[in-house]
Amino acid sequence: MPDQPRNIDNLIWFLSERAKELSCLYKIEGLLNKPDTNLDDICKGIIEAIPPGWQYPDICVAKISLEGHTCQSPNFKETPWVQFADIKVQDQQIGRLSVYYTAEMPHMADGPFLKEETKLLGTIVERLGHYILYARMKQVFQEYQTAKGDLTGHKAEEWRMALNFLRETNKNLYLDISRRMLNFLSWRGIHEAEQLLQKSVGGPRAKDERAATDENRPNQKGLVTLTDQLIDETFKLAAQHLTNEQILANIQKWIQEDRLSFLVQITNRNLPLAKVVDAIRRHHHIAAEGIELPPASKRGVQVSLIQRFLSARQEFVNTAVEFVDIDDFYEVLDHIVFSPESHGRLGGKSTGLFLAKHIIRKCSPLSDHLRGIKVPKTWYITSDGLLSFLSYNNLNEVVEQKYKDINQVRLEYPHIVQTFKNSSFPTEVIQGLSMVLDDFKDQPLIVRSSSLLEDRMGSSFSGKYKSLFLANQGSKRERLEALTDAIAEVYASTFGPDPIDYRAERGLLDFAEEMGIMIQEVVGTRVGDYFMPAFAGVAFSRNEFRWSPRIKREDGLLRLVPGLGTRAVDRTGDDYPVLIAPGQVGLRVNVSVDEIARYAPKKVDVINMSMNTFETVEIKDLLKKFGRDIPALEKMVSIHDGQRISKPVGKNIDFEKDDLIVTFEGLIADRRFMPQLRAVLHLLEEKLKTPVDIEFASDGRDFYLLQCRPQSYLEGSRPTPIPKDIPRDKILFFSNRFVSNGQVPDITHIIYVHPQKYDELHDEPSLLAVGRAVGKLNKLLPRRRFVLMGPGRWGSRGDIKLGVKVTYSDISNTAVLIEIARKKGNFRPDLSFGTHFFQDLVEAEIRYLPLYPGEKGTVFNEKFFETSPNILPEVLPEFAFLADTLRVIDVPKSADGLVLKVLMNGERDEAAGILASPSLPAEVPLVSQEQAEKRSGNFWAWRLQMAEHVASQLDPARFGVKGFYVFGSTKNANAGPQSDIDILIHFQGTKKQRQELLGWLEGWSLALDEINYQKTGHRSGGLLDIHIVTDEDIARKESYASKIGAVTDAARPLALKKSETPS
Amino acid sequence: MSNKPFNSFDLAQSQFDRMADRLGLDDPARELLRWPMRETQFLIPIRTDDGPVKIFRGFRVLHNDARGPGKGGIRFHPQETIDTIRALAMWMTWKCALMDIPLGGSHGGVVCDPHNLSLREQEQLCRGWVRQLSRDLGPRIDVPAPEIMTNAQHMLWMLDEFEAIRGERTPGFITGKPVGMGGSLGRLEAAGFGLVFVLREALKELGIPPEETTASVQGFGNVGQYAIRLFQQMGGKVVCVACWDQKEGTSYSYKKESGVDFNSLAGITDRFGGIDKKKAAALGYDVLPGSAWLEQDVDILIPAAIENQITIDNVKKIPPKVKIVAEGANGPMTSEAETVMAGRNIFLIPDILANAGGVTCSYFEQVQSSMNYYWEKDEVLGKLDVKMTAAFHSVLELAKEKGLSMRDAAFYIAIARVAQACRDRGWI
Repeated sequence: MPDQPRNIDNLIWFLSERAKELSCLYKIEGLLNKPDTNLDDICKGIIEAIPPGWQYPDICVAKISLEGHTCQSPNFKETPWVQFADIKVQDQQIGRLSVYYTAEMPHMADGPFLKEETKLLGTIVERLGHYILYARMKQVFQEYQTAKGDLTGHKAEEWRMALNFLRETNKNLYLDISRRMLNFLSWRGIHEAEQLLQKSVGGPRAKDERAATDENRPNQKGLVTLTDQLIDETFKLAAQHLTNEQILANIQKWIQEDRLSFLVQITNRNLPLAKVVDAIRRHHHIAAEGIELPPASKRGVQVSLIQRFLSARQEFVNTAVEFVDIDDFYEVLDHIVFSPESHGRLGGKSTGLFLAKHIIRKCSPLSDHLRGIKVPKTWYITSDGLLSFLSYNNLNEVVEQKYKDINQVRLEYPHIVQTFKNSSFPTEVIQGLSMVLDDFKDQPLIVRSSSLLEDRMGSSFSGKYKSLFLANQGSKRERLEALTDAIAEVYASTFGPDPIDYRAERGLLDFAEEMGIMIQEVVGTRVGDYFMPAFAGVAFSRNEFRWSPRIKREDGLLRLVPGLGTRAVDRTGDDYPVLIAPGQVGLRVNVSVDEIARYAPKKVDVINMSMNTFETVEIKDLLKKFGRDIPALEKMVSIHDGQRISKPVGKNIDFEKDDLIVTFEGLIADRRFMPQLRAVLHLLEEKLKTPVDIEFASDGRDFYLLQCRPQSYLEGSRPTPIPKDIPRDKILFFSNRFVSNGQVPDITHIIYVHPQKYDELHDEPSLLAVGRAVGKLNKLLPRRRFVLMGPGRWGSRGDIKLGVKVTYSDISNTAVLIEIARKKGNFRPDLSFGTHFFQDLVEAEIRYLPLYPGEKGTVFNEKFFETSPNILPEVLPEFAFLADTLRVIDVPKSADGLVLKVLMNGERDEAAGILASPSLPAEVPLVSQEQAEKRSGNFWAWRLQMAEHVASQLDPARFGVKGFYVFGSTKNANAGPQSDIDILIHFQGTKKQRQELLGWLEGWSLALDEINYQKTGHRSGGLLDIHIVTDEDIARKESYASKIGAVTDAARPLALKKSETPS
Repeated sequence: MSNKPFNSFDLAQSQFDRMADRLGLDDPARELLRWPMRETQFLIPIRTDDGPVKIFRGFRVLHNDARGPGKGGIRFHPQETIDTIRALAMWMTWKCALMDIPLGGSHGGVVCDPHNLSLREQEQLCRGWVRQLSRDLGPRIDVPAPEIMTNAQHMLWMLDEFEAIRGERTPGFITGKPVGMGGSLGRLEAAGFGLVFVLREALKELGIPPEETTASVQGFGNVGQYAIRLFQQMGGKVVCVACWDQKEGTSYSYKKESGVDFNSLAGITDRFGGIDKKKAAALGYDVLPGSAWLEQDVDILIPAAIENQITIDNVKKIPPKVKIVAEGANGPMTSEAETVMAGRNIFLIPDILANAGGVTCSYFEQVQSSMNYYWEKDEVLGKLDVKMTAAFHSVLELAKEKGLSMRDAAFYIAIARVAQACRDRGWI
């Protein structure tokens, strides 16, 4: 059908037919669910309900024949144009439902009948069959109850009575129960029973494990020879060996279990999703009566469901089976948008959240704090939805995208996004999504990817695929369009350059990527034009960034922001979340008034409801305008009065005058939030048997869990194995205290501040000069390819003797910051743990390591640091006088071409700095194209190309330009998606030329920014960062001019346009 | 000396020795003033939030209280040493004496890293510190104030503990309190306004009408901002302001030949004195390198950012037009640079005088607290003007009379006043 062009009339006809069928089905469901009704009424009702559901109601008649009785439409007559379906109870045909057209009609799928009508007919008889079975059982029990009343004191007869009823009403069940009794007796070691059993199956054979096999058929086969005589003997034996109560209890149990036997079909993997959904629905209603499958079957069904929808990983299944009941799937399956033949899973994100939710639910009786935890309402699209989307739109070749050259992938990605957005979804998905929107109403939504790859332990695909916020405002049609658009975009992100690059690096390219979708309501409230949670964040059960030795790993880490949690999940570079160790809430990263204000969040992510967009707004403006509307704001902000920062008293906040700073002080002191968070982290870590990270949000009242997964590590922040067999002479240092995770390969330079020599500096200017020299080296040495090692507290304020006086910008390019605590007499100085710029370190992913030379287990290769050649006088001649104190070591030159690798393993609390072969050639320009692309996602290559292009277009005479250089991340091949292009222009022209030049470059800058936005989604308002230097600057080697012809990390000159205007 | 590590108390003592030579102080006077009169070191045990007891070391050094009760900060700092505290206490004695405030000099601290302490633990430390020292502290004995890593909240905890011990309300016990809890109005303005009061007097001395002057300012924090505001009210024109750009990790100078508009510039400045570069450019400011503020052709330079900004390397770039340098920051000029500058006809207002507005206002806070009557802001700033102006003229007169630099003259007066008080009391 998809490929037949259909005009709109056809579509409307089609949809109205489906609506008729659904309404027919609903009517019949209504009949069946009505209490106190009888079979006659039901049959009459069905006969009435059928014609309006068929294509030609006027000429449609129906007939039900059921166990000799017949019920038919008033104007019934038999014609050749008929379709029928058999009514079955326990696989025995007991009747038939037939639908006739009284006149000939055009030929459709099934005679004059539609395919959908045939299906509907099947559904109706199936439902009717179930009803009849249920009614019979009910009757049996009622009769039994009455009989029981009469038989008080005659227990012996009770079970016989029940058995007789069964024989009359349900032969299959009767035989089944008899056989189970026989098995039961023989398992109890009753010899005669074993003999009977052998007789029944015609010889000795392995015992039939009925519970775990496939439905009824094999049983019947085994029961063929279970004659009435055998049954009599069986129950005679039972009466001998068991008490009456035991027999009765067993019979009751088996009857109940039989009602759920249909569930076992779920263990069939090929069962279409529609059937699974149906089985789970039936189970849901029966389970409500307190009836359960026997444990073994139950586990089998549970495992099948877990494997089918969640994950087949054995460890996962083992955990999940403890917490997820069959009935828990009812809720999920009721919220799945699927094509009936789907076999997909929910994907990693959905799975993680689903399991976490049920762990919390199961354990909530244990703790008050767990009781209030909520999970937002969620709908799912199974992972194979992506594949059916592709084949529906004939887009299958896009799967090959991942094998293409990464540049190609990058170039084609915007095109893929557009193609996907212009594609359509299968009708059943559209219908499903329409239902989803009806369910959510106009609550803002987030469409999240839930990839199967995300589910694989260790492969953290965090942030690689898209998550999109939808305001979900406007007409239903507009909302549906926005929703399908978002899903298409999330689908497209599977074929984006970042995930493909990332998969290529990890050898996961061939893994068939299927992408589940989670459609979740956004937690929050309306605040002015915006919609936002009061606050949100991520929490880790293990703290990898400890800022005080008093904080233990298991104290955890919380990154908290106002508004949407996006700013806590991502590192924004220009803003900071509030960091808290949940196990030690008193110990803060930021202590002084200045620190607290500086590192407080300044911006909020929100959904703009009137513009239908996702936005970042200044918190200052938001609070002034809408502070009053933000729930629980008094728990989020403190008042800065110039001299201190303190919590508001109650809700006493003056939004006009008070200088408000987001500190979350009230929340931290809150009796609910922190204990809740700790309880959740602790529980999930314990039950999942691995450290976890969670995302959460709050509308100011409740705690909503949004995501849960094994603790992810940022790239380069995994616990790194440290080889045990490193030769002693290759170890530069080894530490075993306060180590966090990470690894930094390919360090080419070490800046080493000699602790004793620094201590001996006697005048303040020299001490300050050390800091200034470090600042200069920070700009000269290759970014993230050098480490800083020095005594005591880097960035110490106050007494300069405590450590080198630097600010963050003086150390911003280092890969690792190492503090050396060398014993003085019997006194060991405290280290700072980087607290003076801790949050900057965290956001920039600069590693921190304390070293305690002389402590047990610590290795410190003093000789290497003190005797390797010092290149300081060469690179910074003006600081040559510090050469005793400040040593700059070119590692490859001092170690025969080897580089320093820093391996850090927080789990073992061990870190090592070792000399090893470089994994990259030492000089960046020598990096082969492919390697560089792999490493940096190729953000630099096109930047460099564009810089070359801009230079080649620049007329030197027109603008008075003598030289054009590129430096920084573009030159060093480590540009990221947000990096700008650092350009150095040697200028020697007039003021007018300068203005013209800047204008000309501004144009380029904006155009390149747009291109970068198309490529990466990051916009900065101008991609070129222009630094103009003059002859004088170069002569004085000042600021950026020092980059020209520098010893290390020099700016690279680019060719200019051949001048048109004669100079 | 050359092999001896850097020690700030050594530095303070040698500075004193040099001036004592000039003053011709006798040995007992030197002996008394080279050392603190009282030093207390003690232990403060506190129970941490997670259970165990930790012991912290506390200090209080009173350098000299001949002229009045001790006055000085308390800092929380790891590896705090007694020598640093001695140096700071001595510095306070001179500063108060120079401003002719009836207070002596002291300083104190606790060896701790507040990053490793919860607020509750810090509160215990504050209270423990006061308990250990309660006999040696008081509005008429020694008055603490906030310093590194301590703020108004710590002061209030200390005040509360002290008052609980004494059984009375004594808001004059401590300064740095918030307005409404014994704090003084005008505190924010004090340093910047104080600088301009003395600048005004310097212009008078040089016979230059303020409305004909231009200035370039480094730093747009508290001091810089209030200095610019008052300077412009006086009719002067500020053409260049330099400040630190946190995002880029470098500093920039923002220039407008026609004079910066204080209000619009303040409107695009964060609370740390960082001006938004892009917005400034949009407002028509020339964005120049951070060092450019120094090279502007102006009459007055005001370094009001951090120490060591005018060095031997850049001092020669100060244009010939510059007539006054007013040190708003602490030690913005290295001694080598100062030697070079001494050869030029530039009038230097040294930091000890130019940024004394803060300590003077602190004294006013204590006065108001002790009489439990608080002045309007105008009154505070008016009294500040009187004090600053008087101090300026006494330094100027002495400098002229003895042929000293303004900086030396300031130290000379301070030491002389303290020595005189000791003599008057019959101590020496």
